[in-house]
Amino acid sequence: MKRSHINTPYLLSLSLSILCALIIGALILLVAGFNPIEAYGAIVEGAFGNGRHIGDFLEYAMVLCLCGLACVLAARVGIFNVGGEGQLILGAIVACQVGVWMKGQASWLVLLCAAIAAMAVGGIYAFLPGILKVKVKVNEVITTIMLNTVAVCLCQYLAKGPWKNPNKNMVAATDKLDAEYWLSSLIPGSKLSTAIFTAIILTLLVWYVMTKTSGGYEMKLTGQNPRFAFFSGIKTDRLILLCMVISGAMCGLVGMFRVYGAEHIYKSSISNDYYFEGLMIAMIAAYEPLPVVGLSVFFAILKIGADELQYIGIPSQIYQIIQAVVIFSMAAQSGILSWLKDRGQKKQARLAAQVRGGGKDA
Amino acid sequence: MEEIAVRFDHVSMEFPGVLANDDISLSIRKGEVFALVGENGAGKSTLMHLLYGMHTPTNGEIWVKGERLTEYSPKAAIQRGIGMVHQHFMLVPSFSVAQNVVMSKEPRKFKLFYDWKAAEEKTRALSQEYGLSVDPSAIVGELSVGLQQRVEILKALYRGAELLILDEPTAVLTPQETTELFSVIRRVVREKGMTVILITHKLYEVKAISDRVGIMRKGRLIAVKDTASVTERELASLMVGRPVLYEELERSGQPGEIRLAAKDLTVYDNRGLTAVKKLSLSLRAGEILGIAAIEGNGQSELLEALTGLRSCASGSIGICGQQAANCTPGEIRAMGLAHIPEDRLATGVSKDASVAENLLVGRHKAPEFRGALGYQKQSSIARYAEGLFEKFDIRGAGIAVSAGSLSGGNLQKVVVARECSFDTPVLIISQPTRGVDVGAIEFIHKQIMDKRNEGTAILLCSADLDEVFRLSDRIITLYEGEITGEFTPNTIEKEELGYYMTGNRRKEAGAHEAITH
Repeated sequence: MKRSHINTPYLLSLSLSILCALIIGALILLVAGFNPIEAYGAIVEGAFGNGRHIGDFLEYAMVLCLCGLACVLAARVGIFNVGGEGQLILGAIVACQVGVWMKGQASWLVLLCAAIAAMAVGGIYAFLPGILKVKVKVNEVITTIMLNTVAVCLCQYLAKGPWKNPNKNMVAATDKLDAEYWLSSLIPGSKLSTAIFTAIILTLLVWYVMTKTSGGYEMKLTGQNPRFAFFSGIKTDRLILLCMVISGAMCGLVGMFRVYGAEHIYKSSISNDYYFEGLMIAMIAAYEPLPVVGLSVFFAILKIGADELQYIGIPSQIYQIIQAVVIFSMAAQSGILSWLKDRGQKKQARLAAQVRGGGKDA
Repeated sequence: MEEIAVRFDHVSMEFPGVLANDDISLSIRKGEVFALVGENGAGKSTLMHLLYGMHTPTNGEIWVKGERLTEYSPKAAIQRGIGMVHQHFMLVPSFSVAQNVVMSKEPRKFKLFYDWKAAEEKTRALSQEYGLSVDPSAIVGELSVGLQQRVEILKALYRGAELLILDEPTAVLTPQETTELFSVIRRVVREKGMTVILITHKLYEVKAISDRVGIMRKGRLIAVKDTASVTERELASLMVGRPVLYEELERSGQPGEIRLAAKDLTVYDNRGLTAVKKLSLSLRAGEILGIAAIEGNGQSELLEALTGLRSCASGSIGICGQQAANCTPGEIRAMGLAHIPEDRLATGVSKDASVAENLLVGRHKAPEFRGALGYQKQSSIARYAEGLFEKFDIRGAGIAVSAGSLSGGNLQKVVVARECSFDTPVLIISQPTRGVDVGAIEFIHKQIMDKRNEGTAILLCSADLDEVFRLSDRIITLYEGEITGEFTPNTIEKEELGYYMTGNRRKEAGAHEAITH
């Protein structure tokens, strides 16, 4: 009851800003000489038109959602993990290489080892900025951004050097996974794999822990007022570090999913700043888990559907415009909301004053 | 006929679910000191926030110097010469005094660059003119609360305030500082023709400083009186709506075993300077040990060290026989200590969490609130919070609203309710009634005394000397991190205690007699 009470105006303003973004997008399309209804139709067609597209957008939504939740987990305790991109690609390359090394082993064992390795690498990579933040108060935003660059370079080196795919001379890539290790595809031809079930369970778990448990309660208090949480006996340092490591492990796991579920090989396009998109979604969602899920689906539809635009001659960049406008209107929503409230209040005051002036009150 | 500085004309202010101000009409004369008294949540602060343009009244009009306010914003209020010193200061802690004072009207060099020299000059000149001495280059965050308040007043004066609103200014001050503040108020009123509106809980201050007094209760203005024509007792009855008697609190039982012992404790402050010097004290079950000290003499650091919020440089702390120096607050709480911190907003609550969540913390792992898989049993949490809410007479829109929406005094009750509910052998209390109204003070004092009579060992630190005198079994005075004397309340006068609080030692009793007699 309490929850919905808080969320109603938020959800309202979220829907409003999305609507607003779609309208502005339509106007831009009109100005550019395209039919907006046709364009939006194409987007929906592009996302839902056939099984392959549905599969692709669901896979993309899954990646965004897990990345967003990883960000939310850390942000809840007041630490901002900007390094998810690095944790993701490191998880991906290590998971892939585990599969290459363990060639010939039972597939369940390979998958398990790959998942553990990916989570361990992502977790450790998040532990570094976490421990620096907790112990010596180094700003985690700076360290995680820097570590992203380190991770990108490291992966480039590995994929071009020691773990290089002998068949691919020009691009940076590792060996391809044996088909027996691939996560089974749910819709043939699409990138959607059984990874999505794990993702759904993870999402539910994160939501449950954050909103229903005493652990989530401790996380919330720590994020809101760390001094108060510490004063109250909560082990804030440990909690912050733990959440950061879990956040990193989740990102690593996303990397593993990308390799085993979708690409079956590590290459530099394994993540196209997916984590940053997830992070943006987390921010728009005000670090609430459920809106992250909804927004991930929305942005995935836009993104995958936008590919269809090209076929009717509209540049698919329109997706980026709409995305930018949504972010913009979300950022403005709290301001707009309070402005509206204020105006309403003033109007009410004027009306009341008129009533009084009319002689109702002596 | 006197000039009217401000006129409230049938002003009402409604927040969702609360009618904070109910049809208030009031005129304040130019050049007077007007005191506004009332319980927590009576609507005093809200009324002043309206005048300062922080909210727009839902009903009615406000006239300043004969002009009707059309736009409600602090900027417009400042332009009309209204200055406000808030209960919770609005300062940038990392800025210097001068930077805070000149903010929004900075002196410029070549119309472009911040002229820090001129800023410090102006601040210094202003502080000398009004007798509010403070170092313009000091960093505000490192100043004591009393000095921070001066900065707030200087800020208002710098912006050309003719009408100064002071929201519970003395809540954080020592008796000496209060006296100083009052002389400043008298001077600005007499020499500069300023008008001062003072929100307060302390009735003797009303008598001491104000010309007229307005009493508010539950959003209404109950009465406006000439201060000279009412007694403190009458004021108290008007405020609470029933007669208030400061009864002697009942004491029972004898002090028992030592529950808290500190030995040769040395603690550093935020700047790395020694705040507590080789201090030793012991606290027994069933007694209240009061600490009397002027702000900034190490009492904050001492209590923080005892409760694990600050590390100790050397020395030992024993709580119920366990070694507690440099343990975390969590470990110390487990040894049997609860703590009502001095700064409730920074340390005592999370403003964004609900009242229930604030009442729960510390018990949230108890089996009655936490089920399998860490599941929080919301219904039993709500029941528990409702219980405390009732028992401690917290007034607000219920347990589900954010704690930040409660008034200061009710927020304090949330902290007191939570910490008292732990039933620990040791209770450390700092500023239990800062910014709390008469009725609630009485209630909180009663709670503290009940705890003592149940055998809890209580360490009490308060800037309010009356409070220290009323509650303590023993009093120690602290000066620059050292104990300068130990007394029992019935063997010493308040003024004499002030003598030890300013650095004279008990052993120099001869010299002391020579001065006081």
